[in-house]
Amino acid sequence: MSDASANGAPSNDETESDERTVRPYVESPIIMATVRVVAPFVFTFGLFIMFHGADSSGGGFQGGVIVGTVILMLGIAFGIEPTREWVDPRTLVSLVGVGVLVFLVIGFGTVVAGGGFLDYDAVDIYHANKYGIELVELAIGVIVSGIITGLFFAIAAGASGGESA
Amino acid sequence: MSAVEFALIAFVLACGVATAMLRDVLAAIIAFAAYSLGIAVIWILLRAPDVGLTEAAVGAGVTTVLFLLTIAKTVRPAGERTLERIDLPALGVAVVLVGILATTLGALPPVGGAETPVITSEVTQYYLDNAYTETEVKNAVTAVLAGYRGFDTLGEAVVVYAAGVGILVVLQREVFA
Repeated sequence: MSDASANGAPSNDETESDERTVRPYVESPIIMATVRVVAPFVFTFGLFIMFHGADSSGGGFQGGVIVGTVILMLGIAFGIEPTREWVDPRTLVSLVGVGVLVFLVIGFGTVVAGGGFLDYDAVDIYHANKYGIELVELAIGVIVSGIITGLFFAIAAGASGGESA
Repeated sequence: MSAVEFALIAFVLACGVATAMLRDVLAAIIAFAAYSLGIAVIWILLRAPDVGLTEAAVGAGVTTVLFLLTIAKTVRPAGERTLERIDLPALGVAVVLVGILATTLGALPPVGGAETPVITSEVTQYYLDNAYTETEVKNAVTAVLAGYRGFDTLGEAVVVYAAGVGILVVLQREVFA
């Protein structure tokens, strides 16, 4: 008991506390090679989940997260800063906005075409329902993957930039 | 309860306790990822693959990476102990809360029971009967999400969007950098 209470008290030996070095990025040939091999498959899997969500489990949210994971993998393997420059943060923001716009356009497009909100059948396209749902899933996937990647970049910038308020 | 289910629940409980007890934040995050993975497998066993997929991708995958990035600024706690000291009043509150919630468990129908409101509801039957002919997608979950309840899903997507915009506003930036 005395041991536990002694440890529970604020420790005076601050000099001994081993500070974890603030370096989220470790350059490792193993990680780089692994990510190089795995990334295309993960990306394909994410797209599959997104598109095939209509006929099997999955959908825009899950697929978007998996696609976003690819960027996270690249960031961990090749450094977050170069990955961010490669992706271009402005593209990311506009992509997210475009995703929401696509969803809204589909929703109100069917209203303009004479149906209800997201009443895909109102649009005179062969299998309008199926393609409409696929497009909505894709829009959701774009939004989610963009936000996941953005969160990653934003947190990483906070970790390395040190310009937190 | 089968052996697999029992082992999974024991694993998830152990991971949850480890997440709460471990002093090193890194170790706690790894335990939390393992917990999410266990929950994801439980969802699969409960025949909810869509939820399981989400839990595996978000809970075990992305959240772990974001947490790891976040703790890069923290330092390891001083001292040798691996586990946190148990805060007895907090433990008491937690036990009482779980005890109160556990009293409702008896009212729940058995897993997969045929008499549950979800199965006997007209709405469920309508979706199962008409989802394919009306929306042309084979996954009834997707049919409900993007078809019958598309407006709710638009709200969800906008919530995700708003979360991103909110972060940008708080950080006073125009891009994620």
